[in-house]
Amino acid sequence: MKRSWSDVALSVWGVLVFLFLFAPIIVIIVSAFNTGRLLVAWDGFGFDGFIALLEKPAIRDAVWVSVQTGAIAALVATVLGTLAGIAMARHPGKWVFWFIGLLLLVSVTPEIVDAVALLPWLVFLGQDAGLALFNDGVVRLVVGHSLFATAVVSYIVRARLVGLDAQLEEASSDLYAKPLTTFRRVTLPLAMPAVLAGFLLSFTLSLDNTVIAAFVQVSGTTPWPVYVLSALRSGLRPEIASVSTIMLVLTLVALGLVAFVLRRAGDSATQIARTMTGN
Amino acid sequence: MPRFALAIPAWAWLVVFFVAPVAMVVWFSFGYKPGIFGTHANDVLSFDRYVEALSPTFFTTFMNTLWIGLAGTALCLVIGLPVAYWMAVKAPPSRRGLLIALVMVPFWTNFLVRTIGWQVILAPEGWLSTLLQGVGVIDGPLDLLYTRTAVLIGVVYNYLPLMILPLYVAFDRVGTPLREASKDLGAGKWRTFARVTLPLSRPGVIAGVLLVFIPLMGDYITATVLGGAKGNMVGQLVASQFQTAQNWALGSAMAVLLILVIMVTVALGGLVVWLVTLPFRTRNRLVLGEPPSSEAADTPSASSVSGSGLADDGAASADRVPEEVAS
Amino acid sequence: MTHTRTPVRILASESAAKVIRSELSRRRFLSFAAAASATGLLAACSTGGGTSSAPQAVGAELEDALSIYTWGDYDNPDVLSAFTDELGPAITLDSFGSNEELISKLVAAKGTSGYDLVVPTGVFIPQMIENGLLQELNLDLIPNLEFMDPAFLGRAWDPDNAYSICKAWGTTGFVYDKTVISRELTSWADFLDAAQNEASGKTSVLDDPGDLTGMYFWANGIDWNTTDAGELAAAEDFLVNTLAPNISAFDSYPGGAAIPQGTHVLMQSWNGDARIGILESPDPDRWQWVFPGPETEIWMDNWAIATGAPNPEAAHAFINYVLTPENQLMQLDYIGYHTGATGIEAAAAEAELPMLDLVFFTPEQIATMREGEVNDAQQARVDIWNTTKAAAGA
Repeated sequence: MKRSWSDVALSVWGVLVFLFLFAPIIVIIVSAFNTGRLLVAWDGFGFDGFIALLEKPAIRDAVWVSVQTGAIAALVATVLGTLAGIAMARHPGKWVFWFIGLLLLVSVTPEIVDAVALLPWLVFLGQDAGLALFNDGVVRLVVGHSLFATAVVSYIVRARLVGLDAQLEEASSDLYAKPLTTFRRVTLPLAMPAVLAGFLLSFTLSLDNTVIAAFVQVSGTTPWPVYVLSALRSGLRPEIASVSTIMLVLTLVALGLVAFVLRRAGDSATQIARTMTGN
Repeated sequence: MPRFALAIPAWAWLVVFFVAPVAMVVWFSFGYKPGIFGTHANDVLSFDRYVEALSPTFFTTFMNTLWIGLAGTALCLVIGLPVAYWMAVKAPPSRRGLLIALVMVPFWTNFLVRTIGWQVILAPEGWLSTLLQGVGVIDGPLDLLYTRTAVLIGVVYNYLPLMILPLYVAFDRVGTPLREASKDLGAGKWRTFARVTLPLSRPGVIAGVLLVFIPLMGDYITATVLGGAKGNMVGQLVASQFQTAQNWALGSAMAVLLILVIMVTVALGGLVVWLVTLPFRTRNRLVLGEPPSSEAADTPSASSVSGSGLADDGAASADRVPEEVAS
Repeated sequence: MTHTRTPVRILASESAAKVIRSELSRRRFLSFAAAASATGLLAACSTGGGTSSAPQAVGAELEDALSIYTWGDYDNPDVLSAFTDELGPAITLDSFGSNEELISKLVAAKGTSGYDLVVPTGVFIPQMIENGLLQELNLDLIPNLEFMDPAFLGRAWDPDNAYSICKAWGTTGFVYDKTVISRELTSWADFLDAAQNEASGKTSVLDDPGDLTGMYFWANGIDWNTTDAGELAAAEDFLVNTLAPNISAFDSYPGGAAIPQGTHVLMQSWNGDARIGILESPDPDRWQWVFPGPETEIWMDNWAIATGAPNPEAAHAFINYVLTPENQLMQLDYIGYHTGATGIEAAAAEAELPMLDLVFFTPEQIATMREGEVNDAQQARVDIWNTTKAAAGA
């Protein structure tokens, strides 16, 4: 079959857009091997940036703080969001309207507003109200990163369960399963793809969160994006690109593994992608 | 146990860490800044900070932000729509998973780092500049960095995946059978796209537009890195009132205004779309047989019902385009 | 909280300038200035010191971390890593672009910022002490203070060095691209003129309220610490309506990327940062540093410990560490600022460090430098800075 000109144009456009999406990433990967003092000014090829990673504990700490807070924030958001999503899908009522209103409000509030609101609030809780817990850097980051993520997980889980009707759960309780057993053995497994997707999405969002983190962070538990933001001030070193490259490769490997496992479990490529993108 | 028992933890969490602090910001916005080291005081309440925040200089920043928000969202839609369509319809099915993963890859690189990648590309001494000068497209060094155009490139880049993904899912959900049916009934491919595929993927378009527009309006880091002084956004104004000027009252007023601008724009946008599509919807509503019952059965695959939460919410309020095929 | 305070004058420059301009050496000038302003220090003491805490460091074992909130690119990375190697604490660096930013962060965090060492400019210190943002030093833990030139110690803002020790001092000037601006620029008036002509849309200014407004006052022969409402309004009018549309960036550190990348053609810059940028540029001859007349700024940044610092022992150890003559020279080599160590000018010349004309200044140059003040006009300057930024984005 002959390809029409519009199909060719579409393909060309698609390829161009993918080039656009990858252009800066290629630049960053190339810069990772820059031996100059500044990331932006090419000097020569070498592995100095990667070696700096071994010599600078601050970079490793920052990446570790990000991974740690990302995991905890994603866990918090997933637990809260899953419960809320199940409640919305399985126990609908007038309250759902108000609850979705709250979630929408959380979603339309820009990060910068959360950021300026949370800093005085957390300082108030930690210093004036005497809850020393909130003086801890990790706790502050987790709180900040979990807000939007909780809303997102709630949406995804609700959407998943609304699409599956409740017959299985009804059958389970008809068979005299206790509510908790039904929840654990039936509802949760049904929601699982959405729960996993929500977790992955929350983790990604948290890992990338710069604005809220920059406001609420306690120095010493500086997350990676804030480290980069601060380095931006005084000229970025190539090691920033090196670390980004390593992180990119690691996430790609992790994603590849997830995809492999899911494929073994029989999902199609599109379904895998949907799960990963939270759809 | 009340029906909403399971939602109580999330509700409590959001009330304590979202509603309370944001309410505090709203409260601050009616106060004033007392002296050099004071951040806020609320013993005299007024709307003066709102008046100040809307003074001509700051108002211009609000308009610029809105312009970048709208232009960026529109560009994302125009650029992303054909790509999503290509991925969902034209690309070989075996490749689609890979393509989706590729769209996601930028997400896995820190957004500041990728923005800096653009700074390197667009620099007047950068390789793109050298290349374009070598080819003879431009005479002098590339003059893009620290302009409004650079800001647009940056925001379109950073938010494009958020547009492509929901659009992809929506196009994918329409499925081949409906398009085939449309063609069998004599519609050309453009007509099929305009009358079948596009209307049916409206929830995806809505989700994509919201996912891009809302964070874009609050983002100021992309704009500052690439736009310098020209990338001054409302987010930057708010941040500098808290980070440098220590004027929490004024910063809070600006923050509240920013949320209002976003909500009003989204509401207006929704209204405009609703009005514009009104004639099409009545025209498309060619009912064959029993109208509403066949809706679920026509949905291409059961799994796709689990689709994007935002998309579903967007669609829930808008009345669905009937799944019956237009002639 | 007191909202308005008696301004503290530091360098008694105006009154002394005529006498000094002729032949005083820089060192004598600075010690003279310190003495002249000793009268002002009573004011600093009378209201200060009330809320701040006593030193927490007693010479115990060092903590394993240290967090420094400082100006961008302000320490030699080799010195930092050597400190970690020798003494243990891993260093976290964070940077700010103006004193106002530093103070906002400390005020908002109420002692939970996590920062140990901060580096405020001298004139801001009395009010930082008064607002309980800084913690007293334990000078017994900093014996290397002996390597400092007394001319740079005991300044009016902290006469006993109870809270702060000189880190570096320098000035504000600008850098321009000779391939674009062919005429010679020598003054702040030239800067403002070029910004509206050849360099329009290619000019960056410091992201600092004092330096942004200062530029206008220096160019027009007005005291940059003026509290006169008319003069401030004139500055606002010029900066917002005339200069702002020509500004392409508010960048406190053009030396970090803008000079090496050639992003702008005219950049207001601190001297050390300009030096870093020119040294890093692939084409250093393209850039011209200007020490602008008729007047410009002098500032001195100081090591200080933030209230609530989680690692006070490490903070003291670090200050003590950087004060050794070898480390001071390494710092100077990297950051390009005079660190206040005894005999460092000779040592730097002997080590043949590059571009020392951007680091050390002649007595004539120093006589034209004016120190800032934190006075009643502070809020007005910040407001002008904010409005100018908004106008530049329009």
